Amino acid sequence: MDEEKVIVFDPHYCSGCMYCMTACSTYNNGATSLSKSRIHIVRHEGHAITKMTDEDDLIFDVITCQQCDQPYCLYLCPVLAVERDNETGALMINQDKCVGCRMCMVGCPFGVILYDLNRKQVVKCELCGGDPQCVRFCASGALQFLPKNLAHLQKRDRLARKMIQLRSKASEEEPI
Amino acid sequence: MSIPAGYAGNVLIINLDNEKTEILPIDKFWANYGIDPKQWLGGDGVITKILWEDFSTAIEPFSPENEIIIATGPWTATAAPQSGRAMLGCIDPKTGGFGSGSFGWFFPSMLKYAGFDIAIIKGKAKKPIYVFIDDRKVSFRDASHIWGKETGETVRMIREELEERYEGEIRVLSTSVAGEHLVKYSPPCSDGTTCPGRSGAGAVMGSKNLKAIAVRGTGEVSLFDPRGLLESSYNAVKTFVDNEPFIKLWREHGATTSLGTTMDWPISGAMLVENRKEADFPHLKNVGCLDCPNPCYHWLQIKEGKYSGLRHLGGHMTFLTVCLRNLGIQEFGEWIHYERLLQELGLDPASFSMAYSWAVDCFERGILTLDDTEGITLKRGDAEIICEMARRIAYRQGKLGNLLADGVAEASQKIGKGSEMIAPHVKGKEYIQRDVKIQALMWSLGALTSPRGGDWLRHHNVWELAFQPEKRDSYPKFLGKTCAEVYEESLKLLDMPDELKKKIFGDSQKVDMEWIGDIKGKALFSVWTENLVALFNSLVTCMFGSATMFLMVGFGPTTYSEILNKITGWDTSYDELMRIGERVFNLQRLFNYRIKGWDHKDDTFADKRAYEPAQMGIFKGKVVPWDEVLQEYYSIRGWSSDGIPTRAKIDELGLGDVTKKLNLPEGD
Repeated sequence: MDEEKVIVFDPHYCSGCMYCMTACSTYNNGATSLSKSRIHIVRHEGHAITKMTDEDDLIFDVITCQQCDQPYCLYLCPVLAVERDNETGALMINQDKCVGCRMCMVGCPFGVILYDLNRKQVVKCELCGGDPQCVRFCASGALQFLPKNLAHLQKRDRLARKMIQLRSKASEEEPI
Repeated sequence: MSIPAGYAGNVLIINLDNEKTEILPIDKFWANYGIDPKQWLGGDGVITKILWEDFSTAIEPFSPENEIIIATGPWTATAAPQSGRAMLGCIDPKTGGFGSGSFGWFFPSMLKYAGFDIAIIKGKAKKPIYVFIDDRKVSFRDASHIWGKETGETVRMIREELEERYEGEIRVLSTSVAGEHLVKYSPPCSDGTTCPGRSGAGAVMGSKNLKAIAVRGTGEVSLFDPRGLLESSYNAVKTFVDNEPFIKLWREHGATTSLGTTMDWPISGAMLVENRKEADFPHLKNVGCLDCPNPCYHWLQIKEGKYSGLRHLGGHMTFLTVCLRNLGIQEFGEWIHYERLLQELGLDPASFSMAYSWAVDCFERGILTLDDTEGITLKRGDAEIICEMARRIAYRQGKLGNLLADGVAEASQKIGKGSEMIAPHVKGKEYIQRDVKIQALMWSLGALTSPRGGDWLRHHNVWELAFQPEKRDSYPKFLGKTCAEVYEESLKLLDMPDELKKKIFGDSQKVDMEWIGDIKGKALFSVWTENLVALFNSLVTCMFGSATMFLMVGFGPTTYSEILNKITGWDTSYDELMRIGERVFNLQRLFNYRIKGWDHKDDTFADKRAYEPAQMGIFKGKVVPWDEVLQEYYSIRGWSSDGIPTRAKIDELGLGDVTKKLNLPEGD
């Protein structure tokens, strides 16, 4: 299923506003939070925690379900509560079956399956039925919803352009 | 009273005297303070009401009596656009009157996720401490080893001590060395990023021995109509991004870029933009607070020169304005270093730069001598001397450092010799533009009427500036549209009833030089703008939502009411929301009148050059008719000619009960 879409993140564009997280929690939980969002922005705010003389950096990255083709969460679930949605390709938790054993959390290589203390079940990104709200609310364009086989394009193009720029600058001095 | 959706539900009252805390359900708190949330919302609204109830007479701002009030609003921490903001209020150490400031990044939302809409800090700790709000658990920690540390180190040490589980989990609002040394214009700073800049609350924290407040919030904020909120927010952002004339430029380059297009900058817009294209301007990316679709922060890195390698999150308008205009620092590397330094030391860039700039004037006139400056030849443009003075002020070192740490109003009173006549302040607070008579009328009027004293952030309407003839060439270049097109678009986008538009702008839909150069409609536009600002400061959301380029054509009351109704389940209208803004603004005026006696006589510039004929600008060759505009302004506001809200106006705003002991003019 080449047309299955996935959430793709390009840190170059991320402004760190975390609208993805508030939109996610609002849509899926009916209340806004950061802690219960199924997508997580990882932050390094170097400027906030250093002296002026220290080197520092500001980095945002994203962690969310990659909707793996070989999903450990699905393989490890003893009650077959992890199911693949045929329409969207998303890995879904069947809340009627989930027994809250958290084996899927053990299996997930990215730590993106959350345990919901109220429901006593796990929850994860299920692509909002095919219209992921995180992508919809990403004003900077860092998050995109793309076919799996095209997920690399934007990043590759950006890097390629940078290489072209560098080469053309270098060729002004001496031919490469 | 039940608690509406959108509120976290609790108020935290911290008493530093005995290190005790009290958690009150917010409905009980509202009842104690006579607050109807539909009339005051949150943020500046509740800060004003709390200050009103708690202080009926003037106090010494550095006494333990003063309070620090951090107030979020129903908008904060939801999925509404720009929901990362809160207001921080106190009795302002510079003016002794109403003080508050807006701040963002992630502290405000974290406080709400911890379960608190409002946190009030009272009393004074016996030794330096910091407070940790860990969801509903509040603890007091020793801060003697952190006392004396600058902003970045403070944040790092506290986060390490509290063992945050991932970076940014704990948010820290701290004061720095300037606050500890009671520099009267020292703001607190949150995570080395955002400051309620003009509040002076950093010094109030210093006076309370309170180094910082740290918060971790893992909860959530309930909503009346979550999916509806998402739809309304999405549409609002889309409309904003599709229509706001400056938004494309802003989103490509951040807050400062488009200033060249609309404002009278010594450095032209062309240089700003083209420098960035050539990557000489060390801009790496734009960064925003929670839920921000048009981020204003620049992530900056200096690549060459003395400060090579220095990185900084900032590039803000105020810093750029004062650096270029008031301090004469021309080199980008220098001003980024200056911005970072002030943030580390905890100094308000506006007040500091005006204090320095005023001191240079005094030095050049011989009012300050080399003896006063301890051998330093004060001048503009020399970043090294300026940064050295910033350090001396922050630590109150030396004669001049100590003098300027109190700000220009007090300093000029102390040294006299005519320095009072060139001191750029209103009611004890510095304003940033030096020569108010060559600026736009509304912008300057805002400095006279702001409840915080000389200030521009409670008004900041630049319609006159943006459409002056000399700016017109820059529009096609940067926006791909003519000045006239932008004017017409902006007029259409302005979220106000047609009738009001007509009263303000007259019949013409075109750029009208007669209007720009006249006082016609300005007072009315000012009143509307101030009410709008008081409104979004009570919601609380960011000023860059409604006023990306200070034309007030972004989010307006219509959008605010639609989204607020989805959050809370209320059915507020445009008029009701604007009425809230008006109510808040009026009570701030009354608060200052009650405790400071401020009225018409105080709505004056201390710098008497404001009352001389202007050498250039809209009022070239004329004296700006300040009093005429003020009287029109008072009359529109329903205030007496002494600038005091009348009984009739007060009753109309539903403030009759709270002000009944006050002797007010009757009005009609």
